[in-house]
Amino acid sequence: MSARAASTPAGAAEPAALEIVDATKAFPGVVALDRVSLRVGRGEVVGLIGENGAGKSSLVKVLTGVYTPDSGEIRVAGRKVEFHSPRDAFDHGIGLVFQEQSLMLNMSIAENMFLGRESEFASFGVLNKRRLHAATRRELAKVDLDIAPSTICAKLSFGQRQLVEIAKALSLDGRIDGAITVLLDEPTSVLEEREVKLLFRKVRELRARASFVFISHRLDEVLEISDRVYVMRDGKVTGEVKAGEADVHQLHRLMVGRSLQAEYYREARQAAPGTRVVLRAQGLQRHGAFHDIKFELHESEVLGIAGVVGSGREELARCLAGLESLDGGTVEVEGQALLPGSATAAVRAGIGYIPRERKVEGIIGAQSVAENMTLARLSGFATAGVLRRRREREVARHWIDRLHIKTPGEATPIGSLSGGNQQKVVLAKWRIAGSKVLVLDHPTRGVDVGAKEDVYELIRDMTQEGLSLILLADTLEELIGLSGRILVMRDGRISAEVNSAAGTKPQQVALIEHMV
Amino acid sequence: MSALRAPAPYNWRHMLRRHAALVALVALTLLVGLREPGFLRPETMMVLVSDTTTLFLMAAGATFVIMLGSIDLSIQAVASLASVMIATMFPGWGPWAIPAALLAGAACGLACGWSHTRLRIPSFIATLAVSGVVVSLSFWLSNEASVAITQVHRDAWLGWATGQSLGIRHEVYVGFGALLFLIFVQKATVFGRLIESIGHGELAAIASGIRVTRVKLWVFVLSGLLAALSGIVFSARMASGSPTLANEFLLPSIAAIVVGGTALTGGVGGIWQTYLGALIVSVLRIGMTFVGINVFAQQIVFGTVLIVAVAFTIDRSRIRVVK
Repeated sequence: MSARAASTPAGAAEPAALEIVDATKAFPGVVALDRVSLRVGRGEVVGLIGENGAGKSSLVKVLTGVYTPDSGEIRVAGRKVEFHSPRDAFDHGIGLVFQEQSLMLNMSIAENMFLGRESEFASFGVLNKRRLHAATRRELAKVDLDIAPSTICAKLSFGQRQLVEIAKALSLDGRIDGAITVLLDEPTSVLEEREVKLLFRKVRELRARASFVFISHRLDEVLEISDRVYVMRDGKVTGEVKAGEADVHQLHRLMVGRSLQAEYYREARQAAPGTRVVLRAQGLQRHGAFHDIKFELHESEVLGIAGVVGSGREELARCLAGLESLDGGTVEVEGQALLPGSATAAVRAGIGYIPRERKVEGIIGAQSVAENMTLARLSGFATAGVLRRRREREVARHWIDRLHIKTPGEATPIGSLSGGNQQKVVLAKWRIAGSKVLVLDHPTRGVDVGAKEDVYELIRDMTQEGLSLILLADTLEELIGLSGRILVMRDGRISAEVNSAAGTKPQQVALIEHMV
Repeated sequence: MSALRAPAPYNWRHMLRRHAALVALVALTLLVGLREPGFLRPETMMVLVSDTTTLFLMAAGATFVIMLGSIDLSIQAVASLASVMIATMFPGWGPWAIPAALLAGAACGLACGWSHTRLRIPSFIATLAVSGVVVSLSFWLSNEASVAITQVHRDAWLGWATGQSLGIRHEVYVGFGALLFLIFVQKATVFGRLIESIGHGELAAIASGIRVTRVKLWVFVLSGLLAALSGIVFSARMASGSPTLANEFLLPSIAAIVVGGTALTGGVGGIWQTYLGALIVSVLRIGMTFVGINVFAQQIVFGTVLIVAVAFTIDRSRIRVVK
């Protein structure tokens, strides 16, 4: 290891620590990666940016053996390798620190550190805890963490957990002779600023032993930590810039392929909210999730809710949809109090829910587009319990036309449509059910870039027709772009309310300062 | 499958898979017929179809349960209870014994459904437990013996099941009637649609505001009701009621459902498939008797057929954990 202390930046003659050449990966209907090439030199920190759906995650999955590329190759230290599982990748010196942390929170640091490698510390099937803890302490020292290896991970702060994950990735060091590359997939999204600073300092120090790929959509951070930055869009690498020669705006342009946010989020069509209160929440609480939540939702309004993981906003959305029960407080829809914890009551009162997990809670994949559309209001398509199929088909066709849903027909199983079109069917379901309030829980998740704009357009359509929306978005940018008003949540409470009317959009920082 | 589904592209493997039950039924019938030509005579076929009714009725209700992704193991106990009830109650209650027995069946279904949905007990356990209670109840009601139904009572009140019209046994009419009615329920009613939706995607159904618990409860009630009806028709044929009357019917019922093509994972399948499955089981049963296989060995065949059918009908590569 010591021989590598003097790291050389990329471009030198020695083989790259990690290299991808012309990797292509296609799924039915989507090319996730289109001849992507990327090179990480020894000791180099390479940034990788792109919007959601640009292909970053697919690239990570190829690099960690979750996906096998259709064509192209991966080289580690100049040698071609093939990964068939995350374990394969790990054994070739590629460690991953996930966006959503992967530590088992009920287990100790030591158990997490060597998860799946316990046999290295066992003799005759009995685990030698002392050796395990000693080894863990050594790994933790690399990231300057001085915590007992027996500490249960749930007790660690987010920042500490992130460092443990990095230490885990670096524990490869002792096992692998060649290059080590650590993929940091959105490592800062849940960190406080102080923790980000610490993380960056560690990354800089650790360049002597490892290379890093830093994946993020926080452009300023990417510029700060990286030597070079790759930009991805629509499954392709659309740019490669030296960090010292680029600024945030340039990166953003390369990333989104357009310069005007306002246009993208249809700001011109953002309706001014009406004065009528459609939904009123008072004193909402759910133990361990949120407290004292109070807000009003007006007609034609898009109310965004911002917050980090654990802020309670997701639980709040599910409670509003009746999918989880409240421990206190009342929700009124048009003056009528809502029975908590009953999705049936919520739907009857006019609340529709666009779930984050579309395939699980949004659609019934094996059933047809028409059947999915009418599910929330079947009684409207039946006389005395007998279905009126023709009426169902007519209404389904009407909405297919109206929302420009790309499907061979209303009888096609919804599971065979693309994510964006599935989402449109889910929206149609709630329109058919006559919902007045829609809770949109990450409505553009798993939707390709082009179809996202369709969803934005539909959101504007709905508000212009008088619907009110509660939005949890994939990115802050999206949240700000779409919302008219934003509630920021921190630790289960509303920490700020930010105006986001057209023309007076807040900066992301203005939200973040209340989020963490 | 719903009529709303788009026609699948034509290919023979798909067609074979889709009509596997029908193909198997015809092939089996011909196979037995080849060995024993008497098997193919119209009279034998008639006996076969009419004998299938009781099995079909019992399996039909459980089909809806299985379409939900649950299971009903109480059907044979409920059928036996219904037989005991009419046999013991005819002398005192007269024809009212029949609705009473049906009601009791529905109540058993309610008990299963209630403990499954409200107490959130797996249907496997809930129905097994109810089944135990029901068996004891039947033994107690019947004084632990089989109870004969007199010829007078039988002619007076069970003629709808035992008689003949236009040269066709009434059991055949009962079976066809139930078949058509239940296909209608499955394909053309809100109830049927919701069963399919819940079977395919329970969480999505919940999120859409469907009263999933209520639908499930009714499905179990229907299953109990049909099991009771099956027990009544069976006791009419046997001219007696007995706490063990429908024993050895549970396995063939589940086999009929699964052989027909209803997947244990829920959603896929239906009443017509179960009817074909019941016919296949009947052909196997009667065919084995024709060919001279010991009655006691027949459960071996049903057990084997069940395993093979499940192995073929479920795409287990997509199920990560089998419990």
